[in-house]
Amino acid sequence: MVEQLDQQRRSILKGAISASTLALVAASGLLIPQQLLAHWPTDAFNAETVEDALLALLGEAEIADDAALNFKVGSPPSYAINGASVPIQIQSSLKSIERIAVLVEKNPFPLVMSLDLTSAVKLPFKSMIKIREDSQVMAIIRADGKLYKTSRFVEVDIGGCG
Amino acid sequence: MGLPRKDRLRAKLKSEDTTVRVLLSHPMHTGRAKNKAEQLIPAEFIQDIRCWRNDEEVLTIKCGTATAKNPYFSFQLVGGKQGDNITLRWVDNLGAKGKAETVVK
Repeated sequence: MVEQLDQQRRSILKGAISASTLALVAASGLLIPQQLLAHWPTDAFNAETVEDALLALLGEAEIADDAALNFKVGSPPSYAINGASVPIQIQSSLKSIERIAVLVEKNPFPLVMSLDLTSAVKLPFKSMIKIREDSQVMAIIRADGKLYKTSRFVEVDIGGCG
Repeated sequence: MGLPRKDRLRAKLKSEDTTVRVLLSHPMHTGRAKNKAEQLIPAEFIQDIRCWRNDEEVLTIKCGTATAKNPYFSFQLVGGKQGDNITLRWVDNLGAKGKAETVVK
């Protein structure tokens, strides 16, 4: 019995040691992207609904709709032929923006990108995203601890997530 | 990975703010597309992009699979002057890394 316990303890110890070595190796910047990128919010990016993604990324999903945040007209367009690259442009008059999230409601994984801004960054922010099918495209900003949202319905001819 | 990858980074001073434009060269496979032999192409996409201005980190972009192929970004930095160094680094989900540098014009 005692021996068995000992065995168990040994394997637990071994596990702990190998875990810590792994952490060390990862910290030294050599190995395994998953560990290197521990700060990449896997939960948020793998969430399959908008609410889950927001909860995982921002810790809340309560949103104040606000006119202070805008998609620029035509970007995203209300109709896109190719869903594989749809231009978006985010403009806002809000000050002290901490984080911007871009989501496409009907994508397999709604969260497209998440930006962490410092005070040195100024909008507009432009980029290109993929959209699988006709869907709401949303931008959500956290500024001063509050969330602001804007969205636009985009129709696509060819889905871009295949 | 046939062609050599080339990331482009441009920074220009425009009415006292710096406009930065980024065009990375990356396939951004989502992991759901199939090749001609009907096999899934494994996921390969940029996860993390960081941007510095003169050693000061200014922006972090975290991407999911739904960022378009050859990702394009554009944003502005408050103030700045000609000759500022803009540096950008990215890492993808397989651990490949890239770096681009430019000087504000």
